[in-house]
Amino acid sequence: MSGANIDNEVYIVGGGMTEFGRFDGEDQELAEQAMREALADCNITWADVDFAVGGTNGETKPDNMVARMGLTGLPFITVKNGCATGGVALMTARNGLIAEGRDIAVVVGYDNHARGAFAASPARYGIGDWYGETGMMVTTSYFALKIRRYLHEHGIDERTLGYVSEKAFDYGSAHPLAWRRKPVSVDEAIDSDVINAPLTRFMFCSPDAGAVALVLARGKRAFELCENPIRLAAVELRGRRPGSFEVFSPWLSTGERTSPSIDAAQAAFATAGITPDQVQVAQLQDTDSGAEIIHLGETGLCANGEQGVGYLNGDYKIDGKLPVNTDGGCLANGEPVGASGLRQVHEVMRQLQGRALGQQVPNNPRIGFTHVYGAPGISACTVLVKEGANS
Amino acid sequence: MSIQLVDASLFASTEPVALQGSACATCGAHVFPAQGSCPMCAGVDVSNVALPTEGTVWSWTTQNFAPKAPFRTDEFHPFSIGYVDLGSVIVEGWLLDKTEWVIGEPVRLALAKAWTNDDGTVVHTYGFEAI
Ligand SMILES: [Zn+2]
Repeated sequence: MSGANIDNEVYIVGGGMTEFGRFDGEDQELAEQAMREALADCNITWADVDFAVGGTNGETKPDNMVARMGLTGLPFITVKNGCATGGVALMTARNGLIAEGRDIAVVVGYDNHARGAFAASPARYGIGDWYGETGMMVTTSYFALKIRRYLHEHGIDERTLGYVSEKAFDYGSAHPLAWRRKPVSVDEAIDSDVINAPLTRFMFCSPDAGAVALVLARGKRAFELCENPIRLAAVELRGRRPGSFEVFSPWLSTGERTSPSIDAAQAAFATAGITPDQVQVAQLQDTDSGAEIIHLGETGLCANGEQGVGYLNGDYKIDGKLPVNTDGGCLANGEPVGASGLRQVHEVMRQLQGRALGQQVPNNPRIGFTHVYGAPGISACTVLVKEGANS
Repeated sequence: MSIQLVDASLFASTEPVALQGSACATCGAHVFPAQGSCPMCAGVDVSNVALPTEGTVWSWTTQNFAPKAPFRTDEFHPFSIGYVDLGSVIVEGWLLDKTEWVIGEPVRLALAKAWTNDDGTVVHTYGFEAI
């Protein structure tokens, strides 16, 4: 990063992550485990931390983590933005470090969800009870409706959905912290029980438990704490504009389609001064197999419609031109909502540092990208750059 | 004879059946259900409007498992849901009587039985049937 003031740069210097899956204990036990691991990863203690941000979709209060970690008096901000919680937490921590001239922040995200699809209350989304009573307030049917239209508009074969699942469970099976570690073939994925056509049982992620924590450091301090700090070159959050197609929408407008993912990705690339074709490893929100296909196009990582051929060619596999969801993504890890976005960043951090827990992307990737997307139409994207090489 | 509805505010009329949306005087957008402001342009000069009753399937899926509460049904059978392009707005609703659809297929609005109340009254919602 030539010419920039390093005091305004924020780096990821440490990470910790629990195993994802079913968990019988308290969600904050998971959060504590991830936080202690992240601190140990860069050899600091809780007392060294100036600032913290935590996110969960559950009932516990992240700022109460100080009761477990230590009452050091640090400011601890809580965020709650559904599936985008991790991205928002990261952005809040980054901005806090820069705006307030602090040096070290911890970001933590965690959840421990009950089994089964999320049950949503219409009133919470400002919709009448009729919408839930008639069976339309279902996240999985939304995913199916969205991918059906996308495949139609861009001429992509439905079988592509099976390739997404095969890839996810392949990488999940190689990752020691993933929940689903059993490979699934393309045909198995396509031929299994239909949940919401065209999506089958192996094409959805499920809510589960897990926690991830990251340590951020500003400026030169980052290089004292970490051999390979990963620069947070951009973290951008955007909300929906007219024309977006969101979950729990009794109506859509007929005009041009927009998406908060398109807007957040464009903003992140612009801030980072990086173009999508430079990305060497990416994490995309894949709460269903269709979502990964859509988000490849929306983030600009490929042209809309290119995915059909791309999956057939193995372009998004670990040795392809753009490895995507190298830890198995949400499909293999499930989605503890508060932790999920930080899992993505944790995985890309490790890939860029050459210490992936699962399969390692070859040839020393140095530019990474992450994308989360959630109700009611928000997306957060990051661009991550390994410093040192080529600078 | 009045028909019991899941939510009377969804309907401009039931005989003939028509959905009630709102139209924005500022930008012309139609939304469903009717609301007191326009999410497209943030305008507040809106009025109720009966939406067109015929359109085409814009996307569709099947609901193969019984949704959690507050979903209500007498006996669960897989059903279809879709978005229907009515020209001025795309509306989400049940797709009636079959579980295989084609994008672009013409459909028309109809009333459909949703569930039976304890007192025996049948509650209706809206759906779209193939023309
Ligand atoms: Zn308007």
